[in-house]
Amino acid sequence: MSEIFRYNLRMFKLKIVVLLSLLFSSILLTDEPYVDKDLLNEIADKYGVFAKKRFFYLQETLDSVKDKSDLEKLEAVNNFYNEVRYGSDIKIYGKSDYWATPWEFLGNDRGDCEDYVISKYFALKHLGVDYKKLFFTYVRSTNFKEPHMVLTYFETPKSEPLILDNNNRKIFPASQRKDLTPIYNFNGDVLDKVGKNNEKSHKKWDELKLNMQRKKI
Amino acid sequence: MTLFKQIALMLSIFLLIILATVLILNFQSANKGVQDRLYDDAKNTATSLSLSLGSANGDLSMMSTMINANFDSGNYSLISLVDVENNSLYDRKTESDIKTVPKWFISLIELQAPIAHANVSAGWSQVGILSVQSDSTYAYKQLYSILIDLLIYFTIIALVSLVTLNLLLHAVLRPLKEVQKQAGAITKNEFIIQSNIPYTKELADVVLGMNNMVSKVKAMFDKGNEELKAHKELEYVDQDTQLRNRKYLIDRLPAYLKADASYEGGVNMLISLSGIIEANEKLGRQNVNKIFIKIADIFRNGTKNIKDSIVARINGTEFSLLLPNYSNEEAIELAKNIQQSCKDVIEAAELDPNETFASVGLYNYRHSDSITKLLSKSDNALAQAKFNHENIHLEKAEDAIEVMGKEAWKLLINKAIEKERFSFVSWSVIDTKAKKLSHNVLSINLTLDKNSSYGYAQFMAPAIQSGLSCNIYKKIVDMLFKNSSMMLSASTYSLRLPHEYLEDKDTYGNLSELLRANAALLTFKVIIELPDRLVRQDSKLIREYIELFRKYGISIGIFEFIGESKDYGYLQELRPVYIKGESSYFLTQSDQSLSALRLITDTLGISLIAVGVSDTLTLEKLKARDIHIVQGKVTEMVDI
Repeated sequence: MSEIFRYNLRMFKLKIVVLLSLLFSSILLTDEPYVDKDLLNEIADKYGVFAKKRFFYLQETLDSVKDKSDLEKLEAVNNFYNEVRYGSDIKIYGKSDYWATPWEFLGNDRGDCEDYVISKYFALKHLGVDYKKLFFTYVRSTNFKEPHMVLTYFETPKSEPLILDNNNRKIFPASQRKDLTPIYNFNGDVLDKVGKNNEKSHKKWDELKLNMQRKKI
Repeated sequence: MTLFKQIALMLSIFLLIILATVLILNFQSANKGVQDRLYDDAKNTATSLSLSLGSANGDLSMMSTMINANFDSGNYSLISLVDVENNSLYDRKTESDIKTVPKWFISLIELQAPIAHANVSAGWSQVGILSVQSDSTYAYKQLYSILIDLLIYFTIIALVSLVTLNLLLHAVLRPLKEVQKQAGAITKNEFIIQSNIPYTKELADVVLGMNNMVSKVKAMFDKGNEELKAHKELEYVDQDTQLRNRKYLIDRLPAYLKADASYEGGVNMLISLSGIIEANEKLGRQNVNKIFIKIADIFRNGTKNIKDSIVARINGTEFSLLLPNYSNEEAIELAKNIQQSCKDVIEAAELDPNETFASVGLYNYRHSDSITKLLSKSDNALAQAKFNHENIHLEKAEDAIEVMGKEAWKLLINKAIEKERFSFVSWSVIDTKAKKLSHNVLSINLTLDKNSSYGYAQFMAPAIQSGLSCNIYKKIVDMLFKNSSMMLSASTYSLRLPHEYLEDKDTYGNLSELLRANAALLTFKVIIELPDRLVRQDSKLIREYIELFRKYGISIGIFEFIGESKDYGYLQELRPVYIKGESSYFLTQSDQSLSALRLITDTLGISLIAVGVSDTLTLEKLKARDIHIVQGKVTEMVDI
């Protein structure tokens, strides 16, 4: 009797160890969420429960395309963020020009063209899209006759870029966006990588980088 | 190192460290500012040039031209353009050639101008990345100029601060200097009371403490002075006539009866008044005292023009008039006058001049006589006078057996002065309590040749009579300061200077010159002994001598002290290292007198030395009176 009991006990212990190690490895293997729990709670405290929900939806959207192609990721992210309402910086932040962090943008559920570009850029970067393919592009909108910014995606450095715009919600190749005149392409991460001086590359980019590090919401 | 120097050094180092730190921080801040500026300039150029390059639509020649135009017009060390695959499309570089800045500065600073980058695009497509680096030459020039400016300003600030610090420290520590001065004065037994109490509490406490102590010591000195003066009145003065008394005469006689006495001899006049008992019965004691006062005035008036004369009342009816350098004839003349004046007084008092009269005994003494001989011979003369008709009798001195005549001595001494035939001999002054040598007393011998060697006592008397003593002293003082190597060892030597020499008009000048030239080279310590009679006069000459000796670190001693001063304040001024008096003087002083003298000398740190101590019995008596430092034959019998 005693031997059977000891055998059962050993088996029980083994099962426990196997179960615990499985649980632990599953935790380790789980992808990092785009917005961590603590930050999410802070966002909820500041912007309310609906804001928190928006970030759940964002996470769901990102999770749904995490194993998909770049194009599908671009579609999903572009569609998600284009649902956010447009709002000028002066109305939202009291400043004439402000580059909001993705958390501020979705928290406020409003922003201007740079804020869409920033949020889309960091979300795609989170999804594993090569940041070297993404550029912040200063453009002139002939329709609105005003400066504008879109996110451009270059499959290869020399290929025609795809335009992720908040005005025209659908993604088009650059050649189909006659309403936009490109002025200047910019990628802070690329410049940071090229230069040794990581602290400074572009005034607005540097400010944004600092706000991202501080997890400004 | 003084406290001032320590604080000044500490604060100066502290100040310089602060200034140097501020200078370095300032320069580092300027350095960072310049580097930031280099990057900002490069960044601005990179961004604006990349926008311009975008308009070239990928035309490399156009882009190169744009880059050239920018590069040539500004201060850049590098502008380069690479394509998206990191291949170089175009670049311009320049080597820095900094001539206006020293090489050490360039190697010290090692300024690295940061490279700024910007994306270049043409339409929707990317061209590459533009890199711009500013030329650091300008930055070096600017930094060097900043460094020079900083160094100038900081040097000025440092100098101003150090001067201010110095002035402030002087102001703050001025009371300390006063305190130090007062402490130094206390060490030298000077009584300085500080009236300015320092503001700083610690210093104020010290000053108040020292003031308190000095006041107490001064009070002790004053008390001793008053007591000694009071005792002197009783000790040396006859209360009825205010003349000196027998004790005074006895204490003063050694100065007249010595080898180097100022006078070869003179006359001691002993006057006795007979019939005083009868006069007392007739007139009463008070009226007879009045007669004595009148007679005392006769003695005073009769001797007032005789230099260094002493008039003393020996006992109730006898008076002694010591008349140095006085001839027999002059003395007899004076005796007759005195006798007549006394007779007049007696008659005026309606007394019988046959019953009450003055007898005068005269003794023609020589300086080589002993006190006992002088007194007994004078007594003999008086006894004779009482029985002769005129009541005046002169006892002549026995003719001295002269080894040499006056002229022969004069010749010999002059020769010795000319050929410098004097030599020093010394004997010890011993502190029997501490069992150590106090100092050596110098005397002189005259050695002309093997057969003619004379001691001080032999040749000094004829020298004084011939007026050559000043010349001898001039010579030996010269020897003392110039030929110091003749001294046996690095010890302390004392030399007596007689007042004839000190009062000579050339002495002060000669001594000043001698000390100026030789005092610093002396290998031994010198104590100059001055006669008490001279120093207590507080004359201008004495003050000058004291100042001169102090200036060259020469101590002062006093000899022939019998404490007959009216005020002992001069001891406080003079602050001699010791006072020398005859052993008989110390032994005959009353306990009160001696303790008052001790109070004065102890508060001033002056030693008492008994001279002429010839036997151990006298030494023991002196020890019993707390006099332990002795000079004389007895020093040969004492083991130290």
